[in-house]
Formats: sequence, C-alpha cells, structure tokens
Amino acid sequence: MVKCILIASVLGTSIILSACSDRRIIEEIGFIQSASYDRSADGQLIIAISIPKADSGSKVSREEFLTTARSAKEARITLSRQSQLTLASGQLRNVLFGCSLARLGIWEHIDSLVRDTVISPQVRITLVDGDAAKLLTRQYKQHPIPGRYIEQLLEKSSRNQTVPKVTLHDFVKEYYEEGIDPVAPIIRDKGDHVEIGGIGLFRDDRYVASLHPEEALIFAFLRGKFNQGEIIMDLGSRNGIKETAMLSAINSKRRITVNFDQGVPTVYCHARIQGSIMEYNGTLKISDIHGRHQLETQIAQNVTERANKMIRLMQNNGVDSLGIGRFVRNSMSYSGWKSLDWMAKYPEVKVIVNVSVFIKDVGKLKI
Amino acid sequence: MKEKLSCFHAAILVHMTQTGIVIFALPGLLAVQFGTNGWLAVPLYFIVTLINVSLIAIVYRVGEGKSIFDILERSIPKVMLYPLYVFLIGLWSLIGCIAAKKYILLFQLIAFPTTNPMAFKFVIDLLAYALIVKGLYNIAKTATVFFWLIIWMGLFLFYFFGDLEWVTFTPFVFQGGHHDVKTYFDIYAAFLGYELSLLFIGYSDRKTRLVKAIIWGNGITAINYILICLVSFGFFSLPQLKSLFVPLLDLLASIKLPFIERIENLLYGFFLFSTILTIGMYSWSAKEVSQRIFPTVRSRFLAFVIVLLSFIVSFIPKSLYEVDKWLRLLAYLEFWVAFGLPLLLISVLIVQRGSKGELSHG
Amino acid sequence: MSLRTNIQRWIFNKESAQSRPAEKLPDTERKPTLAQTLDEYKDCADLIHRTYPDIQVEVLYFGHMVNKDLLNREVIALLLNVEPDEVGNLLNQPQFKVANDSKGLIIGILSGQIAIFRGEIVYLADIRGPESRSVTQSETETVITGPHDAFNEEIDINLSLIRRRVKSSHLKVVKLSVGEITKTNVCVLYILDIVNMDYVDEFVRRIRAIEVDGIYDTNMLIQYIDDSPISIFPQFLTSERPDAIASKLLAGRVIGLVDGSPSVVSAPTSFFEFFSSSDDYYQRWSIGTATRLLRFIAFGITISFTSMYVSVTTFHYEMIPENLLLTLTESRSRVPFPPLYEALLMEVTIELLREAGARLPTKIGQTIGIVGGIVIGQAAVQAGLTSNILIIAVASSAIASFVIPSYVMSASIRLIRFSLIMAAGIWGNFGIAIAITALVIHMCGLTSLGSSYLTPVAPFKFKDWRDTFIRSPFKTLIERPSQSRTKNRIRNKMKK
Repeated sequence: MVKCILIASVLGTSIILSACSDRRIIEEIGFIQSASYDRSADGQLIIAISIPKADSGSKVSREEFLTTARSAKEARITLSRQSQLTLASGQLRNVLFGCSLARLGIWEHIDSLVRDTVISPQVRITLVDGDAAKLLTRQYKQHPIPGRYIEQLLEKSSRNQTVPKVTLHDFVKEYYEEGIDPVAPIIRDKGDHVEIGGIGLFRDDRYVASLHPEEALIFAFLRGKFNQGEIIMDLGSRNGIKETAMLSAINSKRRITVNFDQGVPTVYCHARIQGSIMEYNGTLKISDIHGRHQLETQIAQNVTERANKMIRLMQNNGVDSLGIGRFVRNSMSYSGWKSLDWMAKYPEVKVIVNVSVFIKDVGKLKI
Repeated sequence: MKEKLSCFHAAILVHMTQTGIVIFALPGLLAVQFGTNGWLAVPLYFIVTLINVSLIAIVYRVGEGKSIFDILERSIPKVMLYPLYVFLIGLWSLIGCIAAKKYILLFQLIAFPTTNPMAFKFVIDLLAYALIVKGLYNIAKTATVFFWLIIWMGLFLFYFFGDLEWVTFTPFVFQGGHHDVKTYFDIYAAFLGYELSLLFIGYSDRKTRLVKAIIWGNGITAINYILICLVSFGFFSLPQLKSLFVPLLDLLASIKLPFIERIENLLYGFFLFSTILTIGMYSWSAKEVSQRIFPTVRSRFLAFVIVLLSFIVSFIPKSLYEVDKWLRLLAYLEFWVAFGLPLLLISVLIVQRGSKGELSHG
Repeated sequence: MSLRTNIQRWIFNKESAQSRPAEKLPDTERKPTLAQTLDEYKDCADLIHRTYPDIQVEVLYFGHMVNKDLLNREVIALLLNVEPDEVGNLLNQPQFKVANDSKGLIIGILSGQIAIFRGEIVYLADIRGPESRSVTQSETETVITGPHDAFNEEIDINLSLIRRRVKSSHLKVVKLSVGEITKTNVCVLYILDIVNMDYVDEFVRRIRAIEVDGIYDTNMLIQYIDDSPISIFPQFLTSERPDAIASKLLAGRVIGLVDGSPSVVSAPTSFFEFFSSSDDYYQRWSIGTATRLLRFIAFGITISFTSMYVSVTTFHYEMIPENLLLTLTESRSRVPFPPLYEALLMEVTIELLREAGARLPTKIGQTIGIVGGIVIGQAAVQAGLTSNILIIAVASSAIASFVIPSYVMSASIRLIRFSLIMAAGIWGNFGIAIAITALVIHMCGLTSLGSSYLTPVAPFKFKDWRDTFIRSPFKTLIERPSQSRTKNRIRNKMKK
C-alpha cells in the first residue's frame, strides 16, 4: 500500500515538475550547422549562421542569417528574432573564421565555444581566405547546403592529408600547450565551388602565415603519422621535359629526436615514407631495383628540400606548428625548460630533416 | 539478517561506494595539484587508503567480528556515545545528500539547465530510500548489478588510444603543480567510501574475508582512476586539463559513434547508478547509527526521516560553488573520521583486552 | 483501527502477533453413507443414481465424467450378471476400493469415479473418462528441433509425460488440492537427492496456505504463492514443454502441476532463466550461445529503442548523427504532437494489434496483421501522424519483445517499456537512467522461493554464467545451477 502511494507520488510529482522549459523538440529547433565569424571594414564583428531546414514535402533547403554583433552569443539572440525556430548550437559542426579576423586573434570566440557545454569538442575550426560570411551564405548551384558541403570537403581532405583535421579540442589543446602552435585549414571561394586554400599557421590565437595546398602533404609528413594520401613530386627537368612522379597510398611515420650541443638544441626530424608509384614520366627504369632506389633518393631529396623551406618559413614567422618545442621540452629538465624562452630561441634552432622513402610497388606493369 | 555478504559483493560494494561524482573532476584536480603526470598520484593515494584499511583490519581481527557499536558500548556509557553518534549521523547523511545535489547540478550543465534541481533531488532521494530500506544484503546485490551496468563504459577508453600521444605526457613527474593542502583532501574524497566497511563487520562472517574484499574494492577503484586519468593526461594537454571543470565529461563528449553522438549526457545519466549507491550507502550508514540511538523505532521510519531531513538540508546550497564548498568541508571531516574511528575502536579494544587480562589474572 | 495505532505500527518495531489461522483439519473422520452423499449432491441433475434392488447395490456417478465403455465393462455388466451372494466377492476385486471418508468419496465422484454403495460399505471404482484432448504441439513455446509434444489439461497425462522422460524412482510426487470449491488437484514433483528439501517444503507450505474458492490455471496458482505479488515480474517459470520441465527437475528445481492447466511451474527461478529456451540445448553450442545473446540484445532493444527515440527527439537533439538529422526533422515536422504522445500512440496501436491478433482465429488474425502493417507502416506516416523512424523503433522493439521465449515475461517487459517511454518523455536520458535504477533496485529486492531473482549476477556466481548468458559446450556444463542449492552438484561425470 505504502509502495503504491510512493510510486503514484513519484509519477505525479515528476509529471507536474516535468522539464517543460527544457524541452528541445527537434522540429522546433533551428540547428546551427555552421557559423562564421568575420570582421567588417569598420571593425565590426559579422556573424553568419547556416541552418539546414527540412521543409515538409519539398527537398531539403536551408536558411541563413547574417548579423553584426559584439559576440557570437549576442548574435544568436539577435538572429533568433528573425527565425520562427529556437536556434540551438548543439549540432554545430563547423566554425569558419575570416582571415582578417583571425589575424587579430580568435581566442575570445574559441573560449565562448569551449565554455558552452552544448557545443561539441569535435567542431571543426576553419579559416576562410576572403569573406567567410559570403562563403557560407551564397548559393552554390550543385550544393544546396553550403555548410554541409564545406564540412564534407574538409572531411575528405583531412582523410587524404590535404589539410590537417582540426577540431575545437585540437585547437584548444595546442593553443594551451607550450611548444606547439595551432593550425587550421584554409578554404576559399572559387565561383561555383569552394576549394582548399592551404593551411593556416597560428601564433597563439593569431593567424600569421599560411602554407600552400601543394605543401600540405609535406606538412603532414613532418607533423605525425598517417596512412592515406597522395603527392605529386616535381623531380626537375631533364632534356626539357618535366619529370614528375606520383606517390600514392602513402604510409608515413615521423620521429623527432633532440640533441643538445652546449645547451643549444639540434632537432632531427626523421620521416619514413612508404607508398606506391602510380605515375612516373622520368627516365629511370623503375621496374629495376636500382632505378627504384634512385627514384627513392630523388623523392627523398625533393621532400627534404621542401620540408626545409617550410621549416624556414615557420621559423621566420615564429610559429612552431610542428610541435618541435614539445620534443625539446621532453628532452630537457623541467626547470631548464621553464627558464628557456622557447619562442625566442625557436627561430635559431637547427632543424635537420631526414627523409627516407620506400617504394612498395610501381603498379601493375612490369616495365 | 539471514545472508552474509560474500567477498565479491563486499568488494563491489566498497568500489561502488567510492566511485561517485569526484571521478568527473579528478583528472583536473590532479593536474592542478600535481602538475605533469598527475595520474601517478593515484597509486600514492591508494597506498594511503591501504594504511587506513589496515586499521580497519585490526579492528576486525581484534574485535573478533563484533559490530563496532557493540565494541564501543561495552566500554563507554551510551550517553557519552550519543554526541559521537549524532555527529556521524549528521556527517554521513549530509555527504549523501550533498553528493546527490552535486550530481544533479553537474547534470544541469549538460541538460535541463532551467528545471528546478530539487525536483531531480526528490526523485533521487526516493530511489535512495527504496534502496536503503532493503537492507545491506540487497544493497550489495544492487551494487553488483550496477557494477556490471557501468563497468562496460571502460571500453570507451579504448576509443581514445588512437588519439593519445606520448609526447603530451612529458617525462616530468609532478612538476608545475599547485600543491595546496586543501586540494589534497579534495582528491582524497574520490577514495572515501571504504571507511563505511567498518559497519559491514556485523554483516560478514569468516567466509566474507572482509579485509581482502575491501582491498580488492579499493584496488578496482584505483585501477579505474588510473586508467581514466592516464587517458585524460594524454588526451588533453596539461594546461588545458587544468582549465577544465569536469574533464571526464569533455572526454565523453568527444566520442562519436556511427549511430549516436555526444553520448556524454546518456553516460552521465548512467553514472546515476554509482551515485545512487554512494548516496544510499552513506544514508544507510547514518540509519545504522541512528538505530543505535532509537532501537525501538522501525528502521524503515528512520530511513525515511534521514532521507527527508537530508532532502530539506539540500535546499540550502544553490550553486555549484556552494556545493563544492560543502563537499570539501565534509570530505575533510570524513577523512578524519575514516582514520579516527578505527583508531578510537582500537584503543577501546586495547582497554577491553587489558581489563579482561586483569580479570583472568586476578 | 485508529490512525494513531496505524502510525505507531509504521514507526515502531512490533513483532506481528498475527499469523495465519491454523489449517482446518479435513473431516476425514465421518463414515460415508448413501443418504449423506445424496444430500451433498442435492439438485445435481446430472448425477446418475442407479439401484440394483436384487443385489442391494446402488451406484452414483456423473455420466459425463466417466468412460462409457469402461462403465459398462467394468461395473454395469458385472453387476447385472452377478448372483446376489457373490456380490461381496465381486466387489473385492482390485478395481473396487473401499472409501473410508466422506470427503474422499465426494471428491472421487466429482473426479469421475463411480461410487458403489452396498450396505455400510462404499466402494469407488476409477472409470474416469471421456478422453481429454490428445497430446499436441505447444502453441506458445514452439521449437524447431527437439521434441514437439506439450502438456495438455489432464494432470495424469502430464505426469506420465514427465515420468516417461525421467525414469527414476527418485522422482517423488506430492498430491495437494487447492480451492475450497474447485478442489483442483495440484502435484508437486521433485527428484530426491537433487532437490534441496527446503524449497520443496516451502513450496508445499505456500500451496497449502492458499485459501480461495478456486484456481483454474498454473499461472493463477503462482500468483498466489509469489514472494512479491505486486511485482511486475513473474517469479516462477512456467512452461508447456515436458522436456524443459524434465531438465528443470534435473537441475534441482521443484515442479508444480495443476489439473486442468497445460502449463507447469518450476521453482525457484531467476530472471535470466526466462531467456533460455530448450532449443538452445538441441542446437550446437555456438548457435545456442548466439541465440541466447540475441535474446538479451532483444531485451535491450525492446525496452530502450522507443524511449531513446523519445528522449533524443524531445531533449537531446545533439545526440543525433548529422546524416540522420534532416530525415528525422523532416518526418517529425509534420507530426502535430510531441514525441512522447506520438510514441505512446504508436505503441498502443501495436499493442492493440497484438491483442486483437491473439484473440482472433488464425485466419482473421492474418487480416489484422495485413491491415495493421498497412496502417502502421504507411498510412500513419503519410497522414503525418508519426515519423517513419519512430515506426522503425516501435516495430523493432515489438519484434524484439516476441523473441523472449516466455510469453509471461515478454508481456511484463512490454509493460516496463511503457514506463521507460514515460520517463524519457518527462526527463529525457536522465529519466531513462532513473527508470532503470528504479527497475534494478526493485529487481534486486525480488526473490523466488526466497532465493535471489537475479541469481547468477547478484549474488554473483560466475560459474553459472556459462549456462545463462551463453550456452557453453556440454562438457563444460558440469554443475547444476547454484540457485538450486543442491548438495548433488555434479551433473556431468564424464572425463574431459
């Protein structure tokens, strides 16, 4: 009897007290799929959001809103005045930052993204070369939902190592950690399409330099381990003909060691690249073991050169995007590291890149 | 009581009582307190708990399996014990109710931010009441079922193995920590709960091998904590970990399964299983003590009063910070109870032995 | 009783002085007489009373309860042809038994025996009939491989089905009678040396303590002897399969048969026993294991799918994967009510279909299936009453509920599903967690004949797991389940 009363009272009270105010019924919500942060010419923050919307009967469509505001949260409040739906950011997948804004620092926006428990740590951080709001809100003939399109483009590209995969979590992790600086992929408007525009390098939260998309794979070689990707190597010209080789199905591993020579660190970066040749128009006989070895050294040389150039660029800009500092830190004592001003030392550190290439196969042909 | 606790059940009961809400903040606390590779502090804490367990073991051995109340009441007049009893009742029922409140407030970070937390608290207290009136043996059975219902979540740790980088761990041990005395006790709160096993003595027999069970339960907790903290220290960078309020929630939020995402609020909901046991065990202990003061009152009614009072008290702290402040104080007191109570019992037992010895000599 | 005493009783420990009234002594003492018997059957028009004045014998029987052939051959023909002075000799033949007490006599006539009154002495002859329905297949517990016979309504046939399978003199039978008016025969079976006699005594004690006018089925009987009658879960396993019951006997369980009921009860039971079917043992172990795991997955699906749908669409939109989001929103956007009502509507519709299908004859039942399929599958979505993803959730949880072999258990689980859906509609994932917690706390308090309902899990018996969650090869199934608390643990004496 007592139990019955208990159960009844639980049900009764919980129905009375039920969380009506916290209901988020899906069809009453505008899911912000992507958001962009931009800076207008007069220094105002421009915020655009894209909401894919399912209309009954018709095909999937979308809504975009654009506003100027002091912060993203404020923008959401202003924008929700324009929509019949409750705007919610729990399904946010992609955050775009205009390069002009990113040059001034984006930490306050990142901070507000991290603080919000609704937003997933797996949100992508992306830079836009040009007007981010325009990129997000314009019409693409073949892609009804630009936010979705951009996300899939980035997803595919990061799988192929054309851009690094950078989520909110990664960005924050690298922002906080000493001895590594965050990076972010850059995209740009190209008429009917969006294309990958390279990799943006950050010093703290400020965008300072970028890498060309063709260098993306070199960056990937130096940054860590990966298992998929392809690259075209320009191996110089012989008899007026440009020699190129295409390495695909790449597996790559990287190892960084640090040597101290009278307190000055020398960093050795070893990259081991394995792949198959799918295209080669040079003179070497690649079916032959000697030919392959020669090609391997040629490719290694090419990669090393490009890598050296990239590291020089980073050192000149004072960005440690490869996380060399972390390895230096780990090879020092704690107090030694604390007394070291790494960012001041970084441009002078000697980085020696050592690439070894192994060609697994050269395709179906025997010759 | 017909059935006695089995060794496995006692171990799981200890483990589930220990595992509570502190686990969500633990990696962050360790990072702030110990700095680099703070997860290594978990085994150190484990050793401290083992020292405490050895005190309990002495009580168990020397007392020859008598319940702690019998030991106390034989040498000390009941009137003098009442203040101690009242203190224990207050402390234990408060720990239960404040832990529940903290669980709810944390839940409101991720979902139901505007619902009145006391509505959740009401339902949780009802569940706690339903749990404690069933007696220790049934609580232990419930603990076992809940253990199986949440231990599988450990498999999610494998999800992060691909993301762990050795370089994030750094070779430094305990560098850059804060080393604040208060926080030591905060972290110790993650291990508290085993001291309630003092009350199991009356419910166990030789087959239970109580001491072994407590050590095992403690060990499971420690292994759990080590794994979770290890993954946290590799997945987050140290300054990032220091900045996070509930790192475990962030960890869970990063899991993406093909059919479901953002499972942190579901999994956090499942943590109710271990939280309800923590609450239930502390309230049950309070009830056991109060039964000593009011032996004629039905235990059902005592449980009801304790749950009701703690429900009323939990209206007072409103924000997460207040709750944290309360919990910190309670954990501090509980730490001293965990060490003090067995020491008191041992000294009483020594006196009893001495007088017995005199009697037999004379 | 005043409110005050009520409250006092609730607060203070008091030994309850009330105990069950002492069982009445059966009136076995009285000698049966014809007049008294006729008085007992006054106004029973179907009672046949014949007199044979020349041999001073009178017979009483119910014409529809006896086998006419047997009646003629064994009694009437003999009585007609006998000389008056040989009647005594005739009635000393073994088919005639002397009835010494009037209650036995009355019950005997009621159960199809013929009573022969000769002077002071009354004889009973068993000429029971007509034949009941023959042994057929079980409708509710079908298997693919293995024996197909099932119990029917006749307790003797059921007993013989068990005896034929367990040819042991250690198989003991206790006969009881339940129901003050129906006087239903109940048999309690156990195998001496294997069973723990505490269980038998407790089981028999509980059956004896039943004081109702009548019971008609085993599933009704067990509700009178449940440990916790208000619980949603069945606390005793019933089965219609003799092979399953024989295996329960050998596992050390107590078996109860009720006359007039094709289901047979086995006790004590654990929750997990309801998920095993005799099929598991007739298949190879890997198949048996896979099906058993499938049933536990089905259990998970049936209680969680719809409630997860409600919880996610009402409160936790962020949990939906991106690819599913738009389809879900689109199909939800035309639904006029909140997900909780949408889900309840569909679940109730499915339950209506199921109930209608169960009540109707098979041919019409099929029509119901088709109509239901169209209504639920298409029309509801097209009319914008539900979203198609909910249909999938509801349908799969309905199908999953039928995977559970015990009908009684699957009905209980379906009811639990509703409470989970409600909880999810009120507090989302937190509600689900609360509902599961409450469920587990409730189940942990349940017992079956005093032994824990969740046995191999809590109390934890890892050895039993290989015949609970999986069905490991026979050579590893060495011991009887620990819940039986048998002294004779080893069942497989083969060397590995």
